[in-house]
Amino acid sequence: MSVFTIEAFLAILGLVLLMIEAFAPDISRRTLAALSIGGTALALVLFFTVASHETSSLPAFVQPWMKLDSLAIFYKGLSLVITLLVLWLMHECAPYLSKYTVDGRLSELFSLPLIVCAGMMWMAAATDLVTVFVALELVTVSFYVLVAFARKSNLALEAGVKYLILGALSTGILVFGIAWIYGATGSLSFEGISAALAKPETSKVPALLGAAFLLAGLGFKVAAAPFQSWVPDVYQGAPIPVTTFLSVGSKAAGFVVLTRTVEALIGEHSIIGPEVKALLLVLGALTVLLGSLPAIFQQSVKRLLGYSSISHAGYLILALACGDSIRTGMTSGGIVAFYLATYLPMTVLAFLVLAVLRVNGQGEDIRDFRGLGKRSPLLALALTLALASLAGLPLTAGFMGKLFVFFSLVDHAYWGALVCATIGAAAGFYYYFRAIVAIYSTEGSSNEPLKLNIASKVGATVLAVVIVVLGVYPKPLQHTLTKPVEVAAKASAH
Amino acid sequence: MPPLLFYLFVLITLGFGLNVVIARNPVTSALSLAVSFVGLASLFLSLDAYFIGVLQVLVYAGAVMVLFLFIIMLMDIKSEEAGGRANMAAIIAGVVVAGILSVQVATISGKLPFSDKSTETAALKLAEAGAQWEAKGKENLPTISRDLKAGELPDAKLMGETLFSKYAFHLQVVGLLLLVSTVGVVALSKRDNKEASSQS
Repeated sequence: MSVFTIEAFLAILGLVLLMIEAFAPDISRRTLAALSIGGTALALVLFFTVASHETSSLPAFVQPWMKLDSLAIFYKGLSLVITLLVLWLMHECAPYLSKYTVDGRLSELFSLPLIVCAGMMWMAAATDLVTVFVALELVTVSFYVLVAFARKSNLALEAGVKYLILGALSTGILVFGIAWIYGATGSLSFEGISAALAKPETSKVPALLGAAFLLAGLGFKVAAAPFQSWVPDVYQGAPIPVTTFLSVGSKAAGFVVLTRTVEALIGEHSIIGPEVKALLLVLGALTVLLGSLPAIFQQSVKRLLGYSSISHAGYLILALACGDSIRTGMTSGGIVAFYLATYLPMTVLAFLVLAVLRVNGQGEDIRDFRGLGKRSPLLALALTLALASLAGLPLTAGFMGKLFVFFSLVDHAYWGALVCATIGAAAGFYYYFRAIVAIYSTEGSSNEPLKLNIASKVGATVLAVVIVVLGVYPKPLQHTLTKPVEVAAKASAH
Repeated sequence: MPPLLFYLFVLITLGFGLNVVIARNPVTSALSLAVSFVGLASLFLSLDAYFIGVLQVLVYAGAVMVLFLFIIMLMDIKSEEAGGRANMAAIIAGVVVAGILSVQVATISGKLPFSDKSTETAALKLAEAGAQWEAKGKENLPTISRDLKAGELPDAKLMGETLFSKYAFHLQVVGLLLLVSTVGVVALSKRDNKEASSQS
């Protein structure tokens, strides 16, 4: 069995669930959720058994378009994990979400994430821009539906319209960029583009224009400045599980493509390498600042996490701009992958707490966090860990990711970007800790203990433990991600 | 194609394109867009890109425009009142962006190498391509090599061959994408049964 079989299985399961819903409308929500969660869990288990012995080959008709390197395997695993967590969150949020949907039906919410997951897994392995584009559109179009799904809420409708219009615009820009790159280099595969850009006779201006449009189009998808304005509104309006999916899944999928694109554009002897690097540094620094500074004034936690997601995207872009870092022994792709792996548990945990509060009839403001320390000590502790980790406190997962980014900035002596990143991190400490202070303030709106089911308790505990373990002992994860460097070093030695 | 026709079609495309923006009545705008598309299609045809030209008429001037007109009709959009103040900031921004883009495109296309492609040598190359196509093996469509040898570019056949063999996987993903968007449209636009029954 190959990895591709698992991806196809997920997509087909999504279709089957749609069919079941269409032809057996009486089926209960619980059954649908169980089928969808069970299917994803099965896919995850199968994926680990298949991916561990790396001989798994792809079927012939996708062979020219995909490559199973360690980065692809890593991001495929990440996509599966986040999809599983999001489906579980959907199940947890179902009671309150069904108030906002037509007929109280949620069936598409359990089938579309499976198709999104298949799309993200295809993106992770794609080696050429056509495959990237097709898979990216599959993911984005599914997200248009998911974001607007709770359409009885005006905020969700607004979010859906904003995401649709800006997403469509960014798709246009992306295609325009791909067309220019193809015109300038005569190739659509990352290898071909990299090879063509290394030749001095390739004309520089069209390649630069193409690269600029390509980066702008992808920048929309990963919420980079100056294309970040949709993020707070969409994050606020979308249902909590969908926001989680957007902020981890969509971002990870965008960054694997961005990693491969940037690697192709700034490869060795690339004629447009310095310009693209400079552009990325400016974009990255700007993204960190435009994410961190407005976050200081936010009252809604969902908007706060939206701005936080922007500033994290900024750090990731800075890491990509730096290229390989000697101090950490990791490639830029490795650092980005590590950062995203640490970003997953903390973001999911923060949204899980929001979801629990929402199910218990609370709002999404920082004010609603007041008294949480008394009402549920477990959740309060977990949320504190998640927020501290998002801020980058030492001994949490978020610290290691930020540390690697700062190391590679120091390695390459990009002092201006380093200053911006530091300002962003400092602002981060302020606004995350404002939320933490609210958690432990005594005067809460109610003092009733929160009702927590076992799944939420176990989930919150596991995610919190993962955050601490990754922060204290990151070596194993770092090791799995440093492999590509060794392989690359060997390849260049020959 | 004589240059006169080229300029005529360019004039049609640009003139009606401009009218799309200027016209106050949405129906006029939509129909101008359709005429502009037809002008563009003629330009494609004059470049021997028959397939894209036909697609331009079928898909854009046909299907997309019908959709536009339907929406205008269903939503009953009245024409904007004449004399309404134009949004200067939007106009300036639009002109600046259009200006930057046209300067970029002009600069770049000025630098691209121009090759002398006369029709006679092109036909010769087509014949060569036909022979190469035949040499590739018997599973390739024989009609393509026949057309190529006759000096015609079988663009629709080539396009189809590429789409259904080389990009077979992508085609299926696009199919999935279209299904997802259809499901989305249905899910987001279906009426609430409870509401509907209470209203009736």
